Amino acid sequence: MNCLEFRRLVLIRPRQIAAEQQAHLEGCARCAEYAQRVARDEAAIEQAMLVPVPDGLAERILLRHKTHGPNRWGTLALAASLLVAVGVAFYSHEAPRQGDEIVSAQLAGASQHAMAAISYVLDHEPQLLKENRAGDPKVMRAALSELGLSLPANIGSVRYLGSSVLPDGSRGEHIVLQTPYGQVTLILMPDQFLASRVAVSDRNLQALVAPRRQGCYLLIADSTQTLERVEAMLL
Amino acid sequence: MIIERERSKFEGVVKAYSEELYRYAYWLCRDRFTAEDVVQETFTRAWQGWNGLRDDRAAKGWLYTILRNEHARLHERNQLAIDSDQELDELTDKSEGTAFDAFEMRDMLAALPETYREPLMLQVIGGFGCAEIASMIGITVGAVMTRLTRARQAVRKLIDPKPLTRAKES
Repeated sequence: MNCLEFRRLVLIRPRQIAAEQQAHLEGCARCAEYAQRVARDEAAIEQAMLVPVPDGLAERILLRHKTHGPNRWGTLALAASLLVAVGVAFYSHEAPRQGDEIVSAQLAGASQHAMAAISYVLDHEPQLLKENRAGDPKVMRAALSELGLSLPANIGSVRYLGSSVLPDGSRGEHIVLQTPYGQVTLILMPDQFLASRVAVSDRNLQALVAPRRQGCYLLIADSTQTLERVEAMLL
Repeated sequence: MIIERERSKFEGVVKAYSEELYRYAYWLCRDRFTAEDVVQETFTRAWQGWNGLRDDRAAKGWLYTILRNEHARLHERNQLAIDSDQELDELTDKSEGTAFDAFEMRDMLAALPETYREPLMLQVIGGFGCAEIASMIGITVGAVMTRLTRARQAVRKLIDPKPLTRAKES
């Protein structure tokens, strides 16, 4: 087996290395390196493809099977219930925003900004995490760059990415990170200029608002130590 | 007695395969509500045709085929068009080695032409071999191999545009 044949097979079935391929691998450092990189890519592909499965999926399938039986009415009933569920979810997600906007006019100063961010995290984040919507990494990267921040790989994984309307009516780029120190929310606001750095505590959460030359960012976590550690990684 | 036995067997199949079928459905439609609906309908159709399943070992492939057909039927999907190589070349590089990696990999996979993504899904999520994939999507084994190769090459190019060491014909 030559290198071309080896690499062709690795790209077709990276998880199966036949004896003939193994023999080639042992005598060819370049192909060994190639196989390692393909294996790393494959692990990343698999991780990305294994999207979260809704809780209780099998139970719902079996329940429907028992209660409705295999007919089209079952499908229509399910579709109707899904529509209602989507409608309720949409209403419950959107409704608080109007209230937030009213409150927003009364908010002023960095500390109120931080308190509002905590409320936002408590009120909206659980639903956003369930919806699992993916924002645009390019937008996030631009906002990070504008604020002179970076997300190194060792900071952990991104659980949520999206644009948020904060209680003061301004827009922020919202990132939820699963860091080695716990879950942390980062809100980037490139257009919001603040004079001072403020930390507040409310309902077991800590929030930090930090000004930057081109705007500000907010960090929300369950402890000040976590905030400090994650902030050090961002700067 | 026989009905109870078959029902019990069916329940086992639902528990064994519903999660991976959901993931396959999700990547076909990229909407979690629709994906669950398609999986529900797949199992309904599977139960309707349960007597036709003679070999239990074939259940998994059979379910994937039902799901694929169901998705096509529900969404009036036309016959998959063969995408040109140009589309793969036009995918932009987004690599930086940051915490965005998992998110970006999903974007990369979503950006792959469906003709390349589908065999990759069937291999990675379903664990099917090239011959099984060929049978499911109605193309030759050679075409499956080509698409798997091109899909992985495209992903690699997106992760790192620098070429790997060249293979030599030894």
